[in-house]
Amino acid sequence: MASTTVEEGDGDDDGPIANRAQEAIRNPGDAYQFLFYVVTAFFLVTTLFPFYWLLVLALTPGDRMTDIGLLPNGFNPASFVEMFQRLPFHVYMFNSIVIALTTTVIVLLVASFAGYAFGRLEFRGKTALLLVLLAISYFPPAAFIIPLFQFFTGNVEILTLPAVGTISSPNWFNTPGAMVTPFSALFLPLSIFILTTFYSQIPDGLEDAARVEGATRIGALFRVIIPLSAPGVATAGVLTFIGVYNEFFISFLMTDGQAQNWAPIVWGVVNYQGQYQAFYNLMAAASIVGVLPVVILVVIAQERIVSGLTAGALKE
Amino acid sequence: MATSDDHSRGRLRSAAVAPANWTERLSEQGFAYVLLVPTLLLVSTMALWPLVSTFEMSLRADALFSAEYVGEFVGLENYVELLTGERNAVLGSPFVDFSQPLQSALTVTLVYVAIAVTLETIIGFGQALVLDQSFRGRRWVRVAILIPWAVPIAIQGLIFWLFFQPGIGVGTDLMQSLGVFSANPLINTTDTLIIVIVADVWKTSAFMALLILAGLQSVDRSLYDVAKVAGASKVQQFRYITFPLVLPALLVALLFRTIQSMRVYGIIETTGGCSTLPSLTCMVVSTFRAGRYATSAAVAFITAGIVALVALVYIVKFADLEVGA
Repeated sequence: MASTTVEEGDGDDDGPIANRAQEAIRNPGDAYQFLFYVVTAFFLVTTLFPFYWLLVLALTPGDRMTDIGLLPNGFNPASFVEMFQRLPFHVYMFNSIVIALTTTVIVLLVASFAGYAFGRLEFRGKTALLLVLLAISYFPPAAFIIPLFQFFTGNVEILTLPAVGTISSPNWFNTPGAMVTPFSALFLPLSIFILTTFYSQIPDGLEDAARVEGATRIGALFRVIIPLSAPGVATAGVLTFIGVYNEFFISFLMTDGQAQNWAPIVWGVVNYQGQYQAFYNLMAAASIVGVLPVVILVVIAQERIVSGLTAGALKE
Repeated sequence: MATSDDHSRGRLRSAAVAPANWTERLSEQGFAYVLLVPTLLLVSTMALWPLVSTFEMSLRADALFSAEYVGEFVGLENYVELLTGERNAVLGSPFVDFSQPLQSALTVTLVYVAIAVTLETIIGFGQALVLDQSFRGRRWVRVAILIPWAVPIAIQGLIFWLFFQPGIGVGTDLMQSLGVFSANPLINTTDTLIIVIVADVWKTSAFMALLILAGLQSVDRSLYDVAKVAGASKVQQFRYITFPLVLPALLVALLFRTIQSMRVYGIIETTGGCSTLPSLTCMVVSTFRAGRYATSAAVAFITAGIVALVALVYIVKFADLEVGA
């Protein structure tokens, strides 16, 4: 350490910055390395700082909420308990997780069938159907919401039978059904694209062998194709779960916002903002807790997320 | 007892086997159609029917004071009204500063999309270049960069709402010392636009980064060895190898992000609110809440039309690029 300073000092009197610059010109590899670390550090700080600051805010006692710097004004971890007492945030989170998991299961099942058809079978209208699916996933949700809202509030007459009378759509407002069903349709195309890619890569020989051994078509799909595409199925599942947990628009409009009426996490957040405006520490604590499930998922499944999103891009 | 047991077991078995046998007899094409039944059922009831229904609704009059959702058939009148800004007393109130609500929503949305997507592309490219290197701890850097992308929109909104809260938010002090923000940025249209853009860039740059990374990783590494032998600098390598080869992936990412951000709503609702920063989707919701279902449907379809137009522009650009290359 000391010797290098002396050396630099001996060389010239231009100061440390000029020395660095000259060294960089002599050895550009080092300079790029240095630049790389600076840029990486910049990205780490900008993405993680909001979370750190939330923690600072959550730990600051509610009555000392002014002039908060980069360190908490005191230490009050009790806000993580109080946030659940003010609003049943855990219920909102539970609702979101149930809705996301149910959607994921439905999407994986339906997309497995469709992915098999698109990836391994030949049929008329294949390209046209894929295009329709692609188009649907890029329509704004706003274009679906009015009829869906009418449908799930029981206001759409499906058919009239002479003996039974009029059959109306189900009144699923304030139930998971009103969210799970539209989510399943809207998140389905992404999973179909991912699974189609994975299923089409499995050699025909493996499936033929299973069929010779006596497996039915459906049996071959569930016993050979899906197990061999487990990474693809996992990717589709993780992306669907995160997508639904993230969703705002339909989640916001399909319940009245009460935790007991299956309102998801969106409403927990909105209710904090509406009713407990001044409880900044509780809101910060709620944000941290609400993010935890997806943070854990990202840490565990990052490989799958990356391959899923990049496969989606290469699809084009 | 025993016979009825046998009987029911036999029935169960045949019920489990029968559909499988039934699928065995189908042609490949027939089997494909059978497999697609659940998909078609979901997509037609939850997506196609609503789209057609929304369009039909947009051709009708608003029925504010009746039990029916919409009134009589009026053709394109709603569209004409929206585009010319006449007869929209109900619409006028939630939208600030502009006499014509659709134009203001369109302006807000397009300005937001242009700035946010540009910044995300630049930052996402930088993140992709970092993630493309191999270094110790890359796994954790990738997790860190990815996490904001997975944060629910409502919580993203809450984070930035807190961040720019006068009195407590570090963000407001910083921006005010730079002379950019007013006293209460969350009720100021321009300030909220900046906040929403910052929030969006924070959350979705990673999405851009991953799509660009896919392009980066498909670049043939031997090209760099050739370039090094030929004496090309890192900057030249980027300019003549990396950038042109990544461009197709970059354009796909741009298309995806542009279409997605045209629908901006949740982040606005949870920060400044739709009355401060009216986007196109905000307008769909506010007219919907006002009971003007037909107008709401028309705005939704205008939004969808603009999204389609943007997609078309990209696709035409794509075709140009392929012809040029």
